Amino acid sequence: MTAGFGGFVARARAAGRLVVQPRMGFSDTATMRAGLLATKRVPATTVGTLTLDSYTRVNDIAAADHALAEGIPLNGYPIVSYGPERTATVLDGIRDAGFPVQVRHGSARPQDIVRASLAAGLDATEGGPVSYCLPYSRMPLTDAVRNWSHTADILATAPNAHVETFGGCMLGQLCPPSMLVALSVLEGLFFVQHGLRSVSLSYAQQVDAEQDEEAVHALRRLAADLLPGVDWHVVVYTYMGLYPTTPHGAAALLESSARLAVRSGAARLIVKTAAEARRIPTIAENVDALTLAAEVAAATRWADDEPDAADTTVHTEARAIVTAVLGLAHTVAEALPAAFRLGYLDVPYCLHPDNAGRATSEIDPTGRLRWAATGSLPFRARPAAAGRGPTSAGLLAALSHTQRRFDGLPATAGAADRPVLGAQMTITTPGPTSTYLPPSPPEHLASPVTRAALRVQQQVLTAARSFLAGDGFIELLPPVIGPVTDPGVRGSKQLDVDYYGHRYKLMTSGILYKQASLLAFDKLFFIAPNVRAEPVETCNTRRHLAEFHQIDVEISGGTRADARRLAERLLVHVVRHVLRTAGDDLAALGRDPVVFAELLREPFDVLTHAEAVAALHDLQYPQSTDAEIEWEGEELLSHKARRPFFVTDYPKGSRGFYDRENPESPGTLRNFDLIVPGGYGELVSGSERESDYATIVTRMRETGENPAKYRWYLDMVRDGIPASAGFGMGLERLTRFLTGLDSVWQVNAYPKVPGLVAP
Amino acid sequence: MMMSSPSGEPVVISGTSSDSHTWNLVYLQLLVRELGHPVLNLGPCVPDDLLVAECARTGPRLVVISTVNGHGYADAVRVAPRLRARRELAGTRLVIGGKLGIHGAAAARRRDQLVAAGFDRVYEETELAAFADDLARLRVGVAS
Repeated sequence: MTAGFGGFVARARAAGRLVVQPRMGFSDTATMRAGLLATKRVPATTVGTLTLDSYTRVNDIAAADHALAEGIPLNGYPIVSYGPERTATVLDGIRDAGFPVQVRHGSARPQDIVRASLAAGLDATEGGPVSYCLPYSRMPLTDAVRNWSHTADILATAPNAHVETFGGCMLGQLCPPSMLVALSVLEGLFFVQHGLRSVSLSYAQQVDAEQDEEAVHALRRLAADLLPGVDWHVVVYTYMGLYPTTPHGAAALLESSARLAVRSGAARLIVKTAAEARRIPTIAENVDALTLAAEVAAATRWADDEPDAADTTVHTEARAIVTAVLGLAHTVAEALPAAFRLGYLDVPYCLHPDNAGRATSEIDPTGRLRWAATGSLPFRARPAAAGRGPTSAGLLAALSHTQRRFDGLPATAGAADRPVLGAQMTITTPGPTSTYLPPSPPEHLASPVTRAALRVQQQVLTAARSFLAGDGFIELLPPVIGPVTDPGVRGSKQLDVDYYGHRYKLMTSGILYKQASLLAFDKLFFIAPNVRAEPVETCNTRRHLAEFHQIDVEISGGTRADARRLAERLLVHVVRHVLRTAGDDLAALGRDPVVFAELLREPFDVLTHAEAVAALHDLQYPQSTDAEIEWEGEELLSHKARRPFFVTDYPKGSRGFYDRENPESPGTLRNFDLIVPGGYGELVSGSERESDYATIVTRMRETGENPAKYRWYLDMVRDGIPASAGFGMGLERLTRFLTGLDSVWQVNAYPKVPGLVAP
Repeated sequence: MMMSSPSGEPVVISGTSSDSHTWNLVYLQLLVRELGHPVLNLGPCVPDDLLVAECARTGPRLVVISTVNGHGYADAVRVAPRLRARRELAGTRLVIGGKLGIHGAAAARRRDQLVAAGFDRVYEETELAAFADDLARLRVGVAS
């Protein structure tokens, strides 16, 4: 069996022990030494790591020297600046046959790093001509290939040298597994062609456990075919993308990577810590992560020695890529630049000038990572989202998919709830006060986001209509103007039209006509356009449009419970239908279907207005006890919620005269709102209706309305209309919730944001 | 990445010379494009010379330096005076954002020194909303 790093890992694997390893690098030599010692003392099979700083990585040794001289801490161990003697003192008595140490760096020009490492007796490193060039450097790929060829030649002079490919990581996230497997194999073959006899092939955990296992099996199968007679093993990296921010989420993700490594037959795991999302982890945090990973690995059953021979999509695609690339030239070194030029190799989202950038990726509705566009890759994926580029919001949703899943958060929430992205990225999205507004109408209509949202909306309408018609509801076409309209609340104004010399109103809602229509049908609905000149301040709430639509439903003889139950069933039906029929559009918009899992488990929770106010007071929000819940408060509750919930029994002053007062609890109304989670806020507003003439007139007076204006309505009520209950469900708000888009204007073809003059 | 750019002088997005992070730059590119600006994304690990040359060549409406590796402060303090030394870039709006040092403290002092070095605005990692607002305003300025 091989000596050195590769031999150590092979012996551990033969003994059924997963080797666990940290990513650890400190600029202070004493700290670095303490870190190595602590790693060695972990009760597990460990190897040590010297991770280098980023000045050394880019060969800016002067900057590293300067920082050391000034006492400025570096983000890793500056091995070139320190030189072999200093490094030997760091390793003295720690590194030995039972504790190999690997140098990790990330350089596209690593000759000096490798020389400095070998001089200190460190013959294990990692990298690769593609994986340390494209994601991290501006160096032309041909230069990186030349540098790495030279580096491999230097390394091959050391008898037990070991190199790990970094090709299984590529940008850390959103690179489809087949490309990671192909690049890892190709880089491994590159090193073997330069005379190295011991290599490891990396694979970085992605978004789906089953797909990851398929990928490692595919990697092992390809390595077995292409690297005969070579000492090789697979090393798994715990998730390299945006990391969970909660301790439980971070631990669960680490545990899943340890299970992945063992189940798929990898031999080594490089861990991440609970602190990963925030800062460079401490030694103690690394020790905790190594200990936990080793414990989980020990409790997991190993894969068979032979890799799974199933022809999975990952395997088929990866083999097609490797075969096509190897067919381009005699050596991998020659083939790699040609393959990138031709687009046989193409890494999604990679900004390097030598990357074709025609292939894109996405997380599909089942949670797997797949190709969205395959560009010139040497296989055809099913056409997923051709022509739809990613949006910034969609990209963030995909990037934070795993973070949110493991933190137990909805996969995408309202932008104000977006996480502070961890050390990988450390940015947040615009908060609720952002003035992010619609572009010009042609740009908006041509946008792939608008088109995807409108396709989702079409499915919403189809589902709502078929559900309601199936339940015996008649669709009526609503009037657009009338002498009076819903007086409304919350400060919105009505718009007038001159109707043969009479001042008519554009409908703010169809409520008066819905009640009238009960004379014709017991169960009816409108898909109604409404116009409300909302206050200009609402242009930033992300959920107000001056012109919008409602699915407006009324049930003769119905109670509030009937209306609530119907709203719940309607919402669940629409969500199910959209998930079934518009999965590609949701995926293209970066909306993860996982967020709807809780919703699909009806019935929804019910809070009274008083309970909602108390909940807001608990959150230090100054909500008045006898008024409408304010936008911000409602959004706050919506952010805290995991699933939709009703708020019932609003105080009388807060709503229109048609909401029935509760005879058992005067001063409160028999009404409800439905609030959806994720910061999307109110989706439905409904109530049991008042149908008694005298009570309606009294209520009109109480709310400051002049009954004389409502003559046609009151004449009708006096002659008798059925008691009823009903609700309006905001169509654009529903579509926004389904698509996860930042603002409601994004789901309307001709958005009119309050206060903005738009066509 | 594919880029079909609106016309006009671009918003230049760039990482610093020692910062290899890409996702922040990809995200910013999409965001800035959605707000209606053409983008020239120089990518990660941009040497000072290249940044200065590309800015001088394109006459950007805004230069955005994004950095998250913890060396951003040192890199930025070095490159800003070099940009400002070019006559054609003396008045160009120059901003920086991200994770600017490896210790969270001392942010205010860092900010002052970055401004002194030539930045018009320093966005800490939690201030992306302010950045987007400023971009939206920049758009109004360009349109009118």
